[in-house]
Amino acid sequence: MLYAFQVLNGLGLGMIYFLISVGLTIIFGLLNFVNFAHGAFFMIGGYLCYSLVGWTGSFWLSLLFGPLFVAFAAWLAEKILFHRIYHLPHTFHILVTVGIALILQETTIMIWGPVGKNISVPEGLQGVVTLWAFAYPVYRLFLISFTIIIALALWYLLERTRFGALVRAGSESAEMISLLGTNIHRLFAATFALGVGLAGLAGTLSAPVRGVNPFMGVEVLGIAFVVVVIGGMGSFTGALLGGLLVGLVQSLMSTIWPEGASLMIYGAMAAVILLRPYGLFGRA
Amino acid sequence: MSAFILKVEKLCLSYSGFMAVDNVTFQVARNTIHSIIGPNGAGKTSLFHCLTGARRPTSGYVEFDGREITREPTHKRVSAGMARSFQITSLFQNLTVRENLRLASQGRDGDGALTFWRSAFARREHIEVADAVMERLGLTKRADAAAGGLPHGQQRILELGMALCGRPRLLLLDEPTAGMGVEDIPLMTRLIAELGKEYSVMLIEHNMGIVMSISDVITVMSQGGILVEGKPEVIRADARVREAYLGDAA
Amino acid sequence: MLKDSELLGGTTPVVAIALVLLPVVLPSAALATEILIFALAALACNLLLGYGGLLSFGQGIFFGAGAYLASLAMIHAGAGFLTALATAALSGTLIAAVVGALAIRRTGIYFVMMTLAFNQTAYFIAYTLDEWTGGENGLLDVPRPPLALFGATLADLGSPMSYYVFVAVVFLLIFVATKRVIASPFGSTLIAIRDNEARADAVGYNTKHFKIVAFAVSGAITALAGALYAMLLNFAPLENIQMSENIVILTVIGGTGSLLGSLLGAGSWVIISDMFAEVWPRWLIVMGGALILVVLFLRGGIWGGIESLAERISSKKGKPG
Repeated sequence: MLYAFQVLNGLGLGMIYFLISVGLTIIFGLLNFVNFAHGAFFMIGGYLCYSLVGWTGSFWLSLLFGPLFVAFAAWLAEKILFHRIYHLPHTFHILVTVGIALILQETTIMIWGPVGKNISVPEGLQGVVTLWAFAYPVYRLFLISFTIIIALALWYLLERTRFGALVRAGSESAEMISLLGTNIHRLFAATFALGVGLAGLAGTLSAPVRGVNPFMGVEVLGIAFVVVVIGGMGSFTGALLGGLLVGLVQSLMSTIWPEGASLMIYGAMAAVILLRPYGLFGRA
Repeated sequence: MSAFILKVEKLCLSYSGFMAVDNVTFQVARNTIHSIIGPNGAGKTSLFHCLTGARRPTSGYVEFDGREITREPTHKRVSAGMARSFQITSLFQNLTVRENLRLASQGRDGDGALTFWRSAFARREHIEVADAVMERLGLTKRADAAAGGLPHGQQRILELGMALCGRPRLLLLDEPTAGMGVEDIPLMTRLIAELGKEYSVMLIEHNMGIVMSISDVITVMSQGGILVEGKPEVIRADARVREAYLGDAA
Repeated sequence: MLKDSELLGGTTPVVAIALVLLPVVLPSAALATEILIFALAALACNLLLGYGGLLSFGQGIFFGAGAYLASLAMIHAGAGFLTALATAALSGTLIAAVVGALAIRRTGIYFVMMTLAFNQTAYFIAYTLDEWTGGENGLLDVPRPPLALFGATLADLGSPMSYYVFVAVVFLLIFVATKRVIASPFGSTLIAIRDNEARADAVGYNTKHFKIVAFAVSGAITALAGALYAMLLNFAPLENIQMSENIVILTVIGGTGSLLGSLLGAGSWVIISDMFAEVWPRWLIVMGGALILVVLFLRGGIWGGIESLAERISSKKGKPG
């Protein structure tokens, strides 16, 4: 029973990791841009949840406006700064976004202080439900269902809409993008906002479970990288399976060896690198 | 010592089902120029990739200088005496001409070049090789210019020089005249003809004038396999070759 | 590259003069020592990034490991000063070779991502092994034994000034040694690999071996810096491991591809942090902004800026008439 409980936890965690990594990966796929500030945007999503719940008293409003605000900030950053450096080598993308991440982290400390905050579980989603023979927190169940809906919507967006077709075509070949003409800047900015917005959404959703602190950005970025190294960049399925795998490993390990749970996911990555250098689902 | 520097038997390379190299068997005699020709997509460059170690063949056998090398990595083939030039110029763009050639010569040391406690210039022989190759190729005046800043023709010649610096016994030249201006081609042709006397040379080339004038043996590839092989006059006269290749070119 | 091969000429006298001036100009010898320690870490990062083109977010692993292992050798094994430093350098070499060998199995962004992930791994290992590392509290009461060789005490390093002199000597030696590494067959090949890896492979180099050795050398120097840092603070905090990002930033700001740039980067970083620490603890925002500006407008970093300025001035003077 304990394992069923942990599997559900791992599922929730894995879906959060999926949301973060898929954002990273679609930005990379279309824009060939490496965003090391992705974790920092996740953190901002969490802090916005904290503040919006404080002001409005409604988790639902924060769930709507938190990610939207993060997406808007990313759109703005793309318009002002990032689109200027797409043509540069990846090292430059990394350094610039590391700078952005540092600025976001320090600004967060200025606004909210260096000590972490807890966010209470929204009303209506408190308490537990009895599933088979164990009690499970309602909020976590909501988290799992909601993220699955988001994943389905995202899949629909990428596979069944014109926007998705453009994103996929652009990811396949760079020449394809140049044929799209003038819409390209809007497409890039929109994709950037979408990808980062998903990280913000993940931050907002996980805030009531794990709280927020100014240094969680780096931690989450590290995990997203593990997911992407395992699953491969630029792939929806890779991010989903990689995310779930990492979430489940971390969750199941926390019952066996609580201190080493975080360690294990990095161990899993090292194992994948040794056995399959190009990831479980990756192409050369 | 066998009369052949290179023996290739039943070599295959497939990319997810597509046979880029299909059951190829041939031999290269020492100190000859052996050209590979064929229409685009015939599998010439894929064959080269298998010979240089850039791709691992799906099946088959490659023997270099009496030793099997089918699955050896590139750097081991280089120390065994194989050197290549690229179809698309591949130089150390930001480094000087002399440093490009010195590094190419130093490459023969393989892991010996991991030495980090001595000056790179303590090994005079690499500088001497670089200087000698520069002299031969007429690049001495540009010794201290960045490779990336040379005119295209000189870059192609330097590309060939990089292969020479490895003091190879077999030179694999992938379209050495690609993209060269008409005025530079005679120089390159003469150079390759000269090299054929000192080294064994395998040449991929589209320019039929060059191939027919300097080759000892020509192998014609088509759709991954070998169509026909022989001396230039035999190839010139072969009806199948005319149909598959020369016909299109003319 | 040819310029740097003159080991004792070129930038070396400049560094020697700077080493003499630093403690005189700065408010404390301890601050000057801190600059040199971070300059060592930057030098090692520069060897990877500036010469090998390898952007590593794993330098904190080696820095932290050097600090912990030197401290543990002194606390638990009664190691002397030089033994502790040697322990750090040796373990730094080994750890960096292993991390490097794993990370370079992938190239490009995957490589960079893996160095960051390994850094997180090291952080959690240190956090988990709290009986040894002190976990979040850090490893306390790290001693700074006197400098002794074969039982004979050569110098007591207790005072900030005497410790600075020792670190300055170490820095100068490593600075010259790194110049030699860069101008060696290994260093010249590393530069070639950065320029065109496919060609380096084709002329006969096993490029992986070169990258691993680059990591090993970089790891040795970084771990040495970590050990010196622990003895400076008498403390080895867990945050040492999270230093990777800072090491990269100060290396880039100082100037990649120039060893003197590393000293400049470390100097400006430590001095700014000292100036702002009391007044405005969020000074890292400035560093984030500086990093972005350097990448956008001043590729050569501070040193590159100085160089191009000097060139402009000398070309004006050099014009006849």
